[in-house]
Amino acid sequence: MSLDKNMRVLIVDDYNTMLRILRNLLRQLDINNVEEATDGEKALDIMRRQPCDLVISDWNMAPMTGIELLRNVRSDERLRRTPFIMVTAESKTENVITAKQAGVSNYIVKPFNAETLRNKIESVFVRH
Amino acid sequence: MSKQIQIDDAQGYLDRLIRELHVLGKDGQQPLVRVLEYVSRHISSTREEIGALRPDGVSLSSTADELEEILSETARAANEIMTAAESVERVAEGMEPCVRDTLQAAATRIYEASAFQDITGQRITKVVRALQHIEARVDVLTKACGIVTKMPAEAIGDKALLNGPQLSCNAATQSEIDSLFASVEHPS
Repeated sequence: MSLDKNMRVLIVDDYNTMLRILRNLLRQLDINNVEEATDGEKALDIMRRQPCDLVISDWNMAPMTGIELLRNVRSDERLRRTPFIMVTAESKTENVITAKQAGVSNYIVKPFNAETLRNKIESVFVRH
Repeated sequence: MSKQIQIDDAQGYLDRLIRELHVLGKDGQQPLVRVLEYVSRHISSTREEIGALRPDGVSLSSTADELEEILSETARAANEIMTAAESVERVAEGMEPCVRDTLQAAATRIYEASAFQDITGQRITKVVRALQHIEARVDVLTKACGIVTKMPAEAIGDKALLNGPQLSCNAATQSEIDSLFASVEHPS
């Protein structure tokens, strides 16, 4: 499946290294329209200024975590349909259930590879 | 505000009580004296154990500093590695497809592997928080026991030269080392 190369993707992580990895892997998928945020609050500001086509977010951030960001996105009438993929080291069953119940579109556990990222992004857009 | 009695004060009172009971020499007091002596010994050994929690004067907070230094150094290294991989990808774009694909696949594996820094960073952050918590509790216990941490005896000779890497905020740069080196005379 080919992805919309012009889609606007917001990547959210408090580690700059991870933001750089995600940006490079998205570039390999020909996705270059990428915005970055280092926590949920900044991500929400960006989305409220201009909605994104996809959010890829870490969980463990401060002051706003990824799950809090997800809940805010899903409760915002303008943003709630935004595909949202959690990319996180949190791998307990409770985390996955909580994220799913909060409306996450897909869930990737770190460390991950490029193929997993691509598959999860594609699967989100097939469903959408 | 009532004065908080330190444990060493309490031990002092306890030892004084024990001495006075011995002076009184009443047989009926013997079990009580034995119990009090046991409690006094127990307090002494506990204070020694707490005092020994900082071996060689090394504080837990300096250990936490070293761990945070690991975080920043691994981040620097991961970014350097990715810069190199990005250069390889740029060069690969102009090459024949089979060479380009091989180089791009190699660059991808480098990006994937660089994620180690995120995982190790999170683990180190957990350890640092635990150390800071322990340090705070040890400080409270140390103060409550009236323990004064002894500074270790200064190392002498070659042992004084074994310090390991300095924290980056204290470390000399190569050019500072070069200047110092140039300023030191060779032994004739």
